[in-house]
Amino acid sequence: YSMAMRQTPLTCSGHTRPVVDLAFSGITPYGYFLISACKDGKPMLRQGDTGDWIGTFLGHKGAVWGATLNKEATKAATAAADFSAKVWDAVTGDEVLTLAHKHIVKCVNFTQDSNCLLTGGNDKVLRIYDLSKPEADPQEFSGHTSAIKKALWCNSDQQILSAAEDKTIRLWDRNTKEIVKTLSFETSVSSMEYIPDGEILVITYGRTVAFYDAHMLELIKTVDAPASIHSASLHPDKDFFVAGGDDFKLYKYDYSTKEEMESYKGHFGPVHCVRFSPDGELYASGSEDGTLRLWQTAVGKTYGLWKCVLPEELSSENTDALYCPPAEIKA
Amino acid sequence: MKTPVSVLRLPRGPDGTSRGFDPNSPRYVALCPTTISASTGSETDAGNTEEEQRLRSELRERFLRNLIAMTGKQVQFKLYEKVQVQAKFGASDIDILNFQVSDLQTPLGVQKEALLRCQDMISFSFDL
Repeated sequence: YSMAMRQTPLTCSGHTRPVVDLAFSGITPYGYFLISACKDGKPMLRQGDTGDWIGTFLGHKGAVWGATLNKEATKAATAAADFSAKVWDAVTGDEVLTLAHKHIVKCVNFTQDSNCLLTGGNDKVLRIYDLSKPEADPQEFSGHTSAIKKALWCNSDQQILSAAEDKTIRLWDRNTKEIVKTLSFETSVSSMEYIPDGEILVITYGRTVAFYDAHMLELIKTVDAPASIHSASLHPDKDFFVAGGDDFKLYKYDYSTKEEMESYKGHFGPVHCVRFSPDGELYASGSEDGTLRLWQTAVGKTYGLWKCVLPEELSSENTDALYCPPAEIKA
Repeated sequence: MKTPVSVLRLPRGPDGTSRGFDPNSPRYVALCPTTISASTGSETDAGNTEEEQRLRSELRERFLRNLIAMTGKQVQFKLYEKVQVQAKFGASDIDILNFQVSDLQTPLGVQKEALLRCQDMISFSFDL
């Protein structure tokens, strides 16, 4: 017989307002971690494979629009409506640095060595801060004609990718500060994800999920979803990607064939952000409903808090599973 | 009908009383050592953090009281390069970076007023 399993998303509660951004760390000796940005101004750190809350970064005085972790999960950075970006010690939860800006800050991103922080926001200027010299003036990159929504380091931190409300994505050379290439769209880009291994850029706009080569900014392929998409993420093995948006659902697609494989209901509001974990075993989504949800890539596999329970075990007294509904076994 | 995947429990949420970042978690203990690893030898005992903090406070207080007791007294300073000098101790700056002294007796003569850099000192002693 075969027993198809139904996805059980794990809900992470704690935030009291919409979750607008999330990011995973790399894989560390202590597992991997997840940070969530929320309009309640209190970004949270969680254990990546279980969703267990570790701590809340307290200090911002406004909605937090962007959050990121460095690879080792020792530092966190946040971007907020209080006109500041903050750097935090992600082990102790202490605030390490406040970088004052002249307008709402929307995004933050560390270089691979965690020495520099890129910020972008409503004043339309990209800034690079040297974290070893925080009092020094940041390097500034001007060019966008509207608020910057997302900015990322790419190409071994030699280039910067930025997406703004001016419906463009710009590729900048970090050293010359020049714009190497500009992509223009009919509508504002809703999200951007950069995959260093393979140099792929995942962009969402309207109902489209688009994949670009990050070096040349050349289009690889596009996939259209049933609803307006706010965020998408490509699996590390590049076999699937997931997307979520206005219709509250998470969609899973085959990257090669572009076919929709699955869709999952669960959130009670639009999905704002979705990202695969660094090991690809799960993906996390953040929603207008104020929750984060963790979803299995391979449904039914034993991983994190999910447990593969065979039909015989469900009726035994030995199972310690929280939730085991009656099974219908098909021969 | 598909069977929903079983879960062991739900993800833990905020505890409502603190901001988290448990100092007893393995990661915290490993990455934020409060003891000098050389003095403890092997692993840090996380349970001793409070006791260690208490001892550190006691040592700090004792040191500050020593500085008060030293005021106006003759103090012997052992410096690097096997240099020893003597002076009347006046005061320390707030960060214990410099000591203000008078009648500093040096191999080159007596300096009426001087600042000694604390980083140049190995030890100093005085009679109570």
